[in-house]
Amino acid sequence: MERMTLVIDVAKCTGCRSCQVACKNWNQLKGEQTENRGSHENPPDLSANTWNRVVFVESRDANGKIDMTFISDRCRHCEDPPCLEIGQSVPGAVVQDDSGAVIFGKKTREMDFDDLTSNCPYDIPRKNEATGRISKCTMCNDRVSNGLQPACVKACPSGALQFGPRQEMLRFASGRIEALGGDANLYPGEEHNVLWVLPESSRKYPLAQAPTGWKNYRVA
Amino acid sequence: MTNHWIDIRNSDYILAMGSNPVKNHPISYKWITKAVENGGTLISVDPCFTATSNKAQIYAPLRSGTDIAFLGGMIKYILDNDLYFKEYVRDYTNAAFLVDPGFKLPGDGDGVFSGLEGIKTEEGYVDAKYDKTTWAYQKDEKGIIKKDKTFKDPHCVYQLLKKHYSRYTPEKVSDITGTPPDKLLAVYSAYAKSGAPDKSGTVLYAMGWTQHTVGVQNIRAMSIIQLLLGNMGMPGGGVNAMRGESNVQGSTDHGLLFHILPGYLKTPRAAQQTFADYNAAYTPKSNDPLSANWWSNYPKYSASILRAFYGPKLSLDESYRYLPKLDTGPDYSWLTVFDQMYQDKFKGFFAWGQNPACSGANSNKTRHAMGKLEWLVNVNLFDNETASFWKGPDMDPAKIKTEVFLLPCAASFEKEGSISNSGRWMQWRYKAASPPGQALPDGDIVNELMSRVKTLYQTQKGVFPDPILKLSWDYGPKNAAGQVKHIEPHLVAREINGYFLEDTTIKDKVYKRGTLVPNFTMLSDTGATSSGNWLYCGSYNEEGNMAERRQKDDPSGIGLYANWAWSWPLNRRILYNRAAVDVNGKPWAPRKRVIEWQAETWKGDVPDGGWPPLAAAGKGRYPFIMQVEGHGSLFGPGMADGPFPEHYEPFESPLGANPLSPQFINPVLVRFDRISPSKNVNRRATNNSGFPIVCTTYRVTEHWQTGVMTRWQPWLAEMEPGLFVEISTELAELKNIRNGEKIMVHSARGSLEAIAMVTVRWQPFTVAGKTVHQVGMPYHYGWSTTAGRKYGAKDKKPEVFTFGDSANLITPNIGDPNTMIPESKAFMVDIVKKA
Ligand code: SF4
Ligand code: SF4
Ligand code: SF4
Repeated sequence: MERMTLVIDVAKCTGCRSCQVACKNWNQLKGEQTENRGSHENPPDLSANTWNRVVFVESRDANGKIDMTFISDRCRHCEDPPCLEIGQSVPGAVVQDDSGAVIFGKKTREMDFDDLTSNCPYDIPRKNEATGRISKCTMCNDRVSNGLQPACVKACPSGALQFGPRQEMLRFASGRIEALGGDANLYPGEEHNVLWVLPESSRKYPLAQAPTGWKNYRVA
Repeated sequence: MTNHWIDIRNSDYILAMGSNPVKNHPISYKWITKAVENGGTLISVDPCFTATSNKAQIYAPLRSGTDIAFLGGMIKYILDNDLYFKEYVRDYTNAAFLVDPGFKLPGDGDGVFSGLEGIKTEEGYVDAKYDKTTWAYQKDEKGIIKKDKTFKDPHCVYQLLKKHYSRYTPEKVSDITGTPPDKLLAVYSAYAKSGAPDKSGTVLYAMGWTQHTVGVQNIRAMSIIQLLLGNMGMPGGGVNAMRGESNVQGSTDHGLLFHILPGYLKTPRAAQQTFADYNAAYTPKSNDPLSANWWSNYPKYSASILRAFYGPKLSLDESYRYLPKLDTGPDYSWLTVFDQMYQDKFKGFFAWGQNPACSGANSNKTRHAMGKLEWLVNVNLFDNETASFWKGPDMDPAKIKTEVFLLPCAASFEKEGSISNSGRWMQWRYKAASPPGQALPDGDIVNELMSRVKTLYQTQKGVFPDPILKLSWDYGPKNAAGQVKHIEPHLVAREINGYFLEDTTIKDKVYKRGTLVPNFTMLSDTGATSSGNWLYCGSYNEEGNMAERRQKDDPSGIGLYANWAWSWPLNRRILYNRAAVDVNGKPWAPRKRVIEWQAETWKGDVPDGGWPPLAAAGKGRYPFIMQVEGHGSLFGPGMADGPFPEHYEPFESPLGANPLSPQFINPVLVRFDRISPSKNVNRRATNNSGFPIVCTTYRVTEHWQTGVMTRWQPWLAEMEPGLFVEISTELAELKNIRNGEKIMVHSARGSLEAIAMVTVRWQPFTVAGKTVHQVGMPYHYGWSTTAGRKYGAKDKKPEVFTFGDSANLITPNIGDPNTMIPESKAFMVDIVKKA
């Protein structure tokens, strides 16, 4: 199977969270007891039961212009994933398939969670305390390998989520960046199979910056 | 909708007002996006900066309850700048009609139209009613309305309109709405551009317009704008209500409301004792030969519905005698029904597919009213605040005598049938799974009930058994006792369409008895046809069930998709489409043609009647065929509260006076707060320092209605787990409230605990020289899925608990005088940090 890439076109996202629910539905992940913390954003963090989460950002600038931005946060499916490297300690625990999807298997139970998570630059892996299993977005490899789109992409009504062969998606993303103009940019960088088209500098959003040195990056 | 969802993509100017389509109608945004990609402009007008405002090219805030002022200012702008669509307004609207010289406008006197009779108080008139004698048109000796197509006559509608809205200056409007004048002008100038003949503008509205004491007039104001700009009938135009439930269009079409039978036929009144009286009351007459006056066909539709109800064996007169008749006078709307229930005037109540304990305005009253019943039946998917009202907060089960039955029913995916979407498309749906346990489709529950009631009448007789015993009920296979075993949806759909009951020859073609009627032009007033709903006649014919069609071709090029499902009436996709062409039948906007007269025939969509275009001497017809006089109504004498929309303050206002006139609120409201003995529970707090903050209610994407279906769904509940109130940073500072803190919200009717969401998206308004704060909250919550309530051993617990109760505990039970929809979108509250 060829390399596949998922693009998140942030300017088109309406924050409807169909993708968040579709992910839970397809992967049969449990709902979490949450509370309103003064924001529409919920659950408050990624977890073993939440692999895709829409982050809400709102601001008012000095001219009184209000902006709402919604960003689906999930695994970046790095091309050369640090989690895969540390995962070698338990063969089969972390694998990368032909499509580029990085998948955490059952054997993650045997891994040291701290080791794994501290090697992810984007703070993605989460442990199920009951089963010991570590999990995250699979890029729906079970759907994709059967010719289907990822569940979140299928559910997205606005066109903010796009999925397809890598080269096609890279072209799509650069086209969108050009169309948006200004500071629009590709986050976290081409060496990932999940790419965000951000309308403004990534520093304006609550997103971990792509590390400059790849290996053994530890989240501060 | 006059148009349909996909048609939004044909729009050049999209006004989202009284709605938040991005959040509440997410799929509509797909078509809005297409329109914007084609160069269209999205305009958002809302008290709060919403997700729609966020995507809009233009945003303007306004205080809740002031839409008429805002739109009235737009009407003035269009007329002052001569931006209206001249030929359209002259030929297709009633602008040239001459009104009775005795007619007076609110600006001529004390803020009301001529003919008002009521009690005068310091707030202006109350408990009033209009005598509409002076709202009539001047007619010539033939009974045809007098017109002045030059618009010079001071009594013509155009001049009256101009005079009426001359008072709505930008300064005055801004003073009322709190909208900065530059924002007003930005909206006005952009939207008025849709008046160019080849451009169109659409309005997408929802409950933000309807749930007001001037709800219908909000929509009337926009209809006037749409007529002035020539947007009615146009692709990408129209007045489009985005409905709040997938099938609310269908249920309204099929007579959900008390005052209508299926197909918008009127419910008979006691005064109409014979079928002839009834038809005479509702069959309008026009002396103008160019007016199609479609409702002149009323007797065909009423006869056909009687046939559907009682079959061909009874006479039409006898069948009519069996229809329930409303008393002349009182209305039987929700608010009135619950007021009567509160006054102990009901024994029993079916709450079918609904949750009044949370959905009704002033829910404390609703909940206590249900405690006065002997029995209550709730048909629902899940336990809810209505079925369990007797164990809710402030209830003492020991003192409540009401016996409650909760009947489980099938969800939409667990049964077959049609739904009609906002765009009037009737789409067939198939059963995906069987309902769990004892749950039954609603139709089967009705069937069971019918069969038992019938048996009771058979065995115990009763006062008037015939209306039940003679009702035709052939909806499925029968058992030995002759009772229908289960309802077959296709038989219901066929009855809705209607049959020939006798062999009939129409235009040399013979239709055998028992064949389905091809369309409503073939319905008969003599009883030779049946049709359960004339609007749907043609939906299920001898070729099959049109609602099941799924062809994806679109020869129209404008997204009509004429072979996908079926749209009432007659598969017409855009209503009033004869107004989209000039008097010769040529499209105003050739690049988005809906219909066109070519070679003596209409091409494109199903036209609003097959007559040639208006210019065809004597043969053409005016385009607004559902209006008696065939013209779009700039002047609308059918309204209870005035032929032109006029700004009145909401029932509960932050102001002490209406900045526009001495008449404070809509004078013709039904005031429950003035009716004994239930007065004390119908409290009002206006211009009251105890309740200084304007409040509105709305919905979130994640929950549906009162939340009965979504609060039990853990993936939805976790995203929006509880009641919140959105407040501005300015108000938060004033009230010393931090984001995420618990607060109390109080109105004259009740109190709620909620989470404060402090946001820059809400901002204070400057209204009539003072600062007015507004807050907003969703209405989806209820005590039954909270963690804090008592759960019995057998009670199901939700996987994810929600927090808070219904926002309707604080909303006022006051209704629009035309529809009695409650004013949930503008009322007064106070908020305080929770101790
Ligand atoms: S984002 Fe983290 S978890 Fe995902 S592939 Fe990269 S390193 Fe692994
Ligand atoms: S790709 Fe699949 S697993 Fe990943 S976020 Fe989307 S739905 Fe969830
Ligand atoms: S489904 Fe699409 S539009 Fe909705 S939140 Fe997810 S990415 Fe955004």
